[in-house]
Amino acid sequence: MKRNVKNIAFKSVIWTAALVSIVTLLFLISTLIWKGFGAITFDFIFSESKNFGSEGGIIYQIIGSLLLTLCAALISFPLALGVAIYKSEYIKKRSLQTITDTIVFSLNGIPSIIFGIFGLIFFVNVLHTGISWFVGSIILAIMILPTIILSSYQSIISIPISYRENAMALGMTQWQVIRTVIIPRSIDGAFTGLLLGLARAIGETAPIMFIATAFSGVTFPRSLVEPVSTLPTHILALAQQATNPQALENAWGSSLVLVTLVFMFSISALVRRIQYSKINY
Amino acid sequence: METNTALKLNMQTPEKMEVCINISNLNVSFDTTHVLKDITLDFQKNKVNCIIGPSGGGKSTLLRSLNRMNDDAEKIKTSGTVNFNNQNILNGVKNLTQLRKDIGMVFQSPCVFPKSIVENVLFGIQQHKKLTKTEKKAITEKNLKAVALWPEVHNRLKDSGTSLSIGQQQRLCIARALAIAPKVLLMDEPTSSLDPIATRSIENLMEQLKEQYTVILVTHNIAQAKRISDHVFFICNGQLIESGAKNAFFNNPKKAQTISYLQDETCICR
Repeated sequence: MKRNVKNIAFKSVIWTAALVSIVTLLFLISTLIWKGFGAITFDFIFSESKNFGSEGGIIYQIIGSLLLTLCAALISFPLALGVAIYKSEYIKKRSLQTITDTIVFSLNGIPSIIFGIFGLIFFVNVLHTGISWFVGSIILAIMILPTIILSSYQSIISIPISYRENAMALGMTQWQVIRTVIIPRSIDGAFTGLLLGLARAIGETAPIMFIATAFSGVTFPRSLVEPVSTLPTHILALAQQATNPQALENAWGSSLVLVTLVFMFSISALVRRIQYSKINY
Repeated sequence: METNTALKLNMQTPEKMEVCINISNLNVSFDTTHVLKDITLDFQKNKVNCIIGPSGGGKSTLLRSLNRMNDDAEKIKTSGTVNFNNQNILNGVKNLTQLRKDIGMVFQSPCVFPKSIVENVLFGIQQHKKLTKTEKKAITEKNLKAVALWPEVHNRLKDSGTSLSIGQQQRLCIARALAIAPKVLLMDEPTSSLDPIATRSIENLMEQLKEQYTVILVTHNIAQAKRISDHVFFICNGQLIESGAKNAFFNNPKKAQTISYLQDETCICR
């Protein structure tokens, strides 16, 4: 009887926790759709913004956001996978493992505004790059590195030791073992990390607002050292014009587009993972 | 005429023994644990050399010293010599790839890669040389036939290796090890996770394999050693207690430890 009560109590706690999370999420998404859907038109998505965003659309903001995050992904993914492989396959000493762990965790714990300030000082002031979308990508790439490293590392260390041993016993070199066993078996986890990282990166404002973006008058960049406009910085600019109802509606519309983009990232990564698992298992 | 006499003489000698791997004074320790103590023995060429003994006695460590699989272990110390191909493999061999191509290994539980059957057979050899389509086909067929798996899988080579039964998976692992054309095959309790029928098929396989390869088998199954070994080495508590040809070893063991172990599988060494 006592056991039953405990079971029911435990079940209801879990149900409540799940319910609270789901309801909060549904509330956020439905508010976004409710408020933002009215703003979404073909013109809004495919035309450029005018008058600091209170008129016109958000095409260059969408392009800017995608450009920044995709480039950040291209920079950070191989780097992170490399770090994770180095950490799991080459660092044997426990003390060194602890040091690398601390470094990765610390990097993860740095507030995003610090990345922005670092980018401003190091790239813009010291290297004189000017306001550059590419610098923004580099900063975002550094910012999402720990997420991808940790997720790749976790999936590498979960590969059973027997896979490594069998490959080594077939006379494979360490690089061959990494190429044929470690990477194929861990790429899945690395993609999950990338997805989490990108979902964070695309919504960031602080790291890029000083170094990579401009609030108006921006089109498609023609070189690496031109600014772009992104959805988060655009939403920030629109929110500052809260007295203008059109600007506010555009802010909601832009937010909905941003969340949809994040959602698309998740779905495409999921599809990619399913395809991958079909090939290999 | 002279040749004929020589031939006759040769046939009269009981059995020609040729040493494949010679080990002398092998000591292995992990940190402060002395696992192998002054092991000196010869593994015979083209025979099933069987290492028996209780768990934790150092059998696997001995086997893994032969293809240097212990190299990556933390705080390992090795001394002594292991001669193979006129080289001390403990320090004379720099190229582990060549060593492991010469001395293949099959592990306790079958480890099939999540790939097709044919990709599994070619998994190792493909890393060592570029193969044409015809060669790939020939190698797959030859080695799957060698492990008697060909009749069962020849019409579904593209299926995943993991779809096979455990016994078939272990034979696939042996085919994969044979595909790199080793001279010696190390087998670390290869039947311990198999059912009796699969076990028998692997044992029969070993009988055939020894014609071309030197088999070094670790087992704690005394009955299995009786069935298939040619030469037996009893290792307990890190020491080689006794060794000898199968019949002599099982019918007439000399040491008290061996007698005790053969009678009730208990070890009185410690």
